[in-house]
Amino acid sequence: MAFTTELERDSALNLSQAAVGCEFQVKQLDGPGCKQLREIGFCEEMRVRKVSNGRNLVCAMCGTRLALSRELAEQVLVTAV
Amino acid sequence: MSTGDEHPIPKVALVGHPNVGKTTLFNQLTGERRKVGNYAGVTVEKISATIYTPHGHQMELVDLPGTYSLTPSSPDERVTRDVLLGDLDGEESPQLVISVVDASSLERHLPLTLQLIELGLPVIVALNQVDRAEAKGLRLNPQVLTDELGVPVVACQATSGKGIVQLKQALRFPLPPASERRWKGNAAVEHAIADLTKQLESQGLERPEAHALQLLGESDYRTQAQPHLSRVAQAAALDVAADLIKQNHNPEEEISALRSQTIRRAISAAAHEMGDEGETFSDKIDRVALHPIGGWTLFAAIMFAIFWSIFRFAEVPMGWVEAGVGFIKDKVGGMLPEGDLNSLLTDGIIEGVGAVVIFLPQILLLFFLIGLLEGSGYMARATFLMDRVMARVGLSGKSFLPLLSGYACAIPGVMATRSISSNKQRLLTILVLPWQSCTARLPVYAILIPLLIPSILGQTTMMFFIYFLGTGTALLVAWLLSKRIGIGEAAPHFLLELPPYRLPDFGYVFRHVIDRGLAFLKKAGSLILGIVIILWALGTYPKAPEGESQFDHSAMGCIGNFLEPVVKPLGWDARLGTATLASFAAREVFVSQVAVSFAIEEDEDDEEAFRDQIRSAIKTSEKPDGSPAYPPLVVLSVLIFYIYALQCLPTTAVVQRETKSWKWALAQLAGMSIFAYLAAFIVYQGGTFLGF
Repeated sequence: MAFTTELERDSALNLSQAAVGCEFQVKQLDGPGCKQLREIGFCEEMRVRKVSNGRNLVCAMCGTRLALSRELAEQVLVTAV
Repeated sequence: MSTGDEHPIPKVALVGHPNVGKTTLFNQLTGERRKVGNYAGVTVEKISATIYTPHGHQMELVDLPGTYSLTPSSPDERVTRDVLLGDLDGEESPQLVISVVDASSLERHLPLTLQLIELGLPVIVALNQVDRAEAKGLRLNPQVLTDELGVPVVACQATSGKGIVQLKQALRFPLPPASERRWKGNAAVEHAIADLTKQLESQGLERPEAHALQLLGESDYRTQAQPHLSRVAQAAALDVAADLIKQNHNPEEEISALRSQTIRRAISAAAHEMGDEGETFSDKIDRVALHPIGGWTLFAAIMFAIFWSIFRFAEVPMGWVEAGVGFIKDKVGGMLPEGDLNSLLTDGIIEGVGAVVIFLPQILLLFFLIGLLEGSGYMARATFLMDRVMARVGLSGKSFLPLLSGYACAIPGVMATRSISSNKQRLLTILVLPWQSCTARLPVYAILIPLLIPSILGQTTMMFFIYFLGTGTALLVAWLLSKRIGIGEAAPHFLLELPPYRLPDFGYVFRHVIDRGLAFLKKAGSLILGIVIILWALGTYPKAPEGESQFDHSAMGCIGNFLEPVVKPLGWDARLGTATLASFAAREVFVSQVAVSFAIEEDEDDEEAFRDQIRSAIKTSEKPDGSPAYPPLVVLSVLIFYIYALQCLPTTAVVQRETKSWKWALAQLAGMSIFAYLAAFIVYQGGTFLGF
């Protein structure tokens, strides 16, 4: 499991709730879109920065900009770094 | 010394994510300028070339469609997986795979490389974009990565040709051996893999371990029918997977986690981690380009500029084509004595084909501008913005590019739908796409609109309205159909890579434009030429006695009389009926057909005068009772019919090929024709009722 402590689990939020401009670490993928997310590069422990919000939001990962729908973003659990 | 003759020519496949620079690398290796685009999924056709290693051995290099993994989510990605597993008919699996990865984004790219290694094929890793990675402060050690992955790793920068020689040297003969799988699972998983491999081997399946990993790592692959995988093999995989699940193991998740661990280990050894580089130049542009208000303003401005330039700049080369056609007609007409052969060549072939070729400049210009949008990276942003609109009607943002191409020609539009991952959304896009007003409809509009509105401003507004009507109907019908087809909850979520903005590769753009132009000319030279000859013959024979109307006597006239009762409710007569019937092969034929039916000779030097003649013939035609034969309401009814009807045989053929179904292709043809008929009917009858 990607969460090491209960505290960490409690402080996790999904990428849709996360604040724009901040950097996060992916902790867990949870939901039907998991496979699609993993394929394009969302994996546990990856660092992402949220670039913009919206119905489709944009985040930066490994220097690449990815646009994803809010439903998918809700399936990515992150913690602040 | 061994030569290539002793072996069959080895096949080398380039595999990588979309936008990784695979096609640029292909061009560098082959020395041939080919496609390179920013837009995810631009490589949808099979592209291959013969190359020679530095030692003179011949190899066939194949550029496979870009894919994020061997778990396909669109038809073009499926091609890649099936070719690699040797499961595609008529396609031998490659003997060597070049895995193209983005050095600045290894975490995202190496999972595919691991999957390729697991196929049991020899793999060479091309570590592309090393310059970009270095610019970001990332230090990579290809030798360490070679040790970690067990396959040769060559650093390169395809755009500048750096590392190409080293990559070619790595393609030496004999080919490097295949590497071992890079991870070991727990006892249960390893036992399952070994067990399934053994069963598949005894069933005579090639690459049993590769298939076993694919079957265990991807539930869809073992549950959904695969054309090249027997039910027995899938049943064996289902049993083995069920056993694992019973022991509280999830094969998909565990295999995926094992790959991730392997990659993290390799990267931490071979690369110095870096932080995010902060806001880039592309991000700055995106702050405007993706802004809810600024983004749409920019989008609208770009679309306006595209359409404005198509109508404005294409005029000049269109004039040249016109003059050229007139010149040829003059020359040919002058060389032959008056008679049927002269008439066939000049009035039939040259004029008929010329009426179509005149639109070549507009088509080329639209494809050039679309190429610039793709090449610069803006197309992905447009896709992002349009997703909001498209999602409302059941389509995806990825339907935008095909629909935009549809303004030029439905055929490349239908082909561009291959990058849409959902089959249902793809079908829906194909079904409504021909309502996008294509350039083939322009000659018809050019004749009809001035008959309705004399002022230039009014005509421009009308043209805008026609585009709006076509697109509006396409979206409305998509919305209605999406409920029937069952797109809703099942629609895949939007996920798209936004490539950095860059200067378009003009070589690629021009090549693309030339390809499209040649395809259009081929159509004009084959299908349209054939139709034009048939139409000429139907309009010329049997010959009318002196002083009588040739049209009324000809076979075409007879067909027209036969058709009249059908088209009468639309306010049309036999001439319009035959011209429309002839247009079902290709709309452009309308103009030449109307001209032939009024026996109007084309003025070699002045196309506009020719159009004026047609217009005045339409205007002054009278019914036997002296009332005008084509009042504005009839013209409007014809216009409405052309906006809505699918009158293009090549489109129907391409839809059949892309959907692999005559049912959908013919349903689309019938559906759109009935829709057009009803729309024209409502306009004419409604207008008559209201007293117009």
